[in-house]
Amino acid sequence: MRHLYRALTVLGSYRAQRMMGIATLAGLAATVLTGLFVVPPDAAQGDVQRLMYVHVPVAWVTFLAFGVVFIASVGYLKTGRIQWDRVAAASAEIGVQFCALTIVVGSLWGRPVWGTWWTWDPRLTTTAVLLLIYVGYLSLRKVADSPARRAKWAAVVGVVGFIDVPIVHESVVWWRSLHQQATVLRVGAPTIAGSMLATLMLAFVTFSLAYGYLMAVRLRVGRLEDRSAVPVSSLPSPRARRPRPASTPAAAPAGTLAGTPAPAQAGTPASAPGDVPAPIASDSHA
Amino acid sequence: MHDVGYVAAGYTLTLATLAGYRWHLAVRARRARRYVTAVTGRARRGRRRP
Repeated sequence: MRHLYRALTVLGSYRAQRMMGIATLAGLAATVLTGLFVVPPDAAQGDVQRLMYVHVPVAWVTFLAFGVVFIASVGYLKTGRIQWDRVAAASAEIGVQFCALTIVVGSLWGRPVWGTWWTWDPRLTTTAVLLLIYVGYLSLRKVADSPARRAKWAAVVGVVGFIDVPIVHESVVWWRSLHQQATVLRVGAPTIAGSMLATLMLAFVTFSLAYGYLMAVRLRVGRLEDRSAVPVSSLPSPRARRPRPASTPAAAPAGTLAGTPAPAQAGTPASAPGDVPAPIASDSHA
Repeated sequence: MHDVGYVAAGYTLTLATLAGYRWHLAVRARRARRYVTAVTGRARRGRRRP
C-alpha cells in the first residue's frame, strides 16, 4: 500500500506529469491516425468498426479507474490515511467520465450495427448501473458533513460498488447478450487480426497513460483545493518562517494571518472584498 | 459513407472529453492557487506560472 502511494506521489511530480502529458498527446495522435487511416476496415462491419479503437480502451480505463477506487478505499479503511481518500475521489471522478464516454461511444457504434442507440442488453444495463453507482459515490461525497465521515462512507461505497465491475465484464458470458463477447481479455488467444490487435494495444497503452496523466493532475488539484479549504488560522504564515527584520511591526494578533484582518469564521477570510477570492468548497476532493 | 459520421463523432467526442476535463482541472487549479496565494500572501511552493 505504502509503495503504491509513493509511486503515485512520484507520478505527481511536475516533470513526470509533463512527460506523461507529452506521451499521451503523442499516443493519442498515433492511435487516431492508425485507427482511422492505417488499419483496414472490418470485413463485416466496415468502417464503423474503427470505433473499437476508442470504445474498448475507454471501457478498460473505466475498469482500471474503479479498480483504483477499490484499492484506495480498502487502503483508507485499513489505515485511515486521508491520502487514500484523495486517490479514490480522484480516480472515481475520472472513472465516471470514462464510463459515460464508454456508453456514448458504444451507442454511436450500436446505432449502425444493431439499428438502435440503446437496448436493455445485460452489458449495457450493467454498465449503466456502474455509472449510476459511481455518480452516487461522487454525490455522497458532497452530502457528508465532515471529512472523516465523508471518507469513511465513500470508502464503503468504493468497495461495495466495485462488485459491479466483474459483473459488467462477465455479463456477456452469463446472460444472452447482443454485445459481442470478449476478444482480448479472454482465456486463449485473442480472436482478432494482428494489425487490429496491435492498434488496439497501442490504444490501451495510450488511454492508460491518459488516465495516469489525468490522475496526477487531479491529485495535484485535490491537494491545492484541500489546502484552500482548511481554516485560515492553520495555513502557514509567510512571516512565520522567515526571520523578521527589526523594522517590521509586531506580529498580528493570534488567530489572524499576518497582514490580514481576523476571519469572521474558520475557513472564511473576512478581509476586504476583492482582496481574497471566495473560498473553495470544503468538499474539494469530492 | 454514412458510417464515417459515427466514427468521426466517436473520435471527436472522446478527444473533446479528454481535453475538456483537462481544461476543467486547469480552471480548478488556478482558482485554488489564487485563493491560497491571496490568503497566505505567497505562491505555493513549486513552479511558478508566468
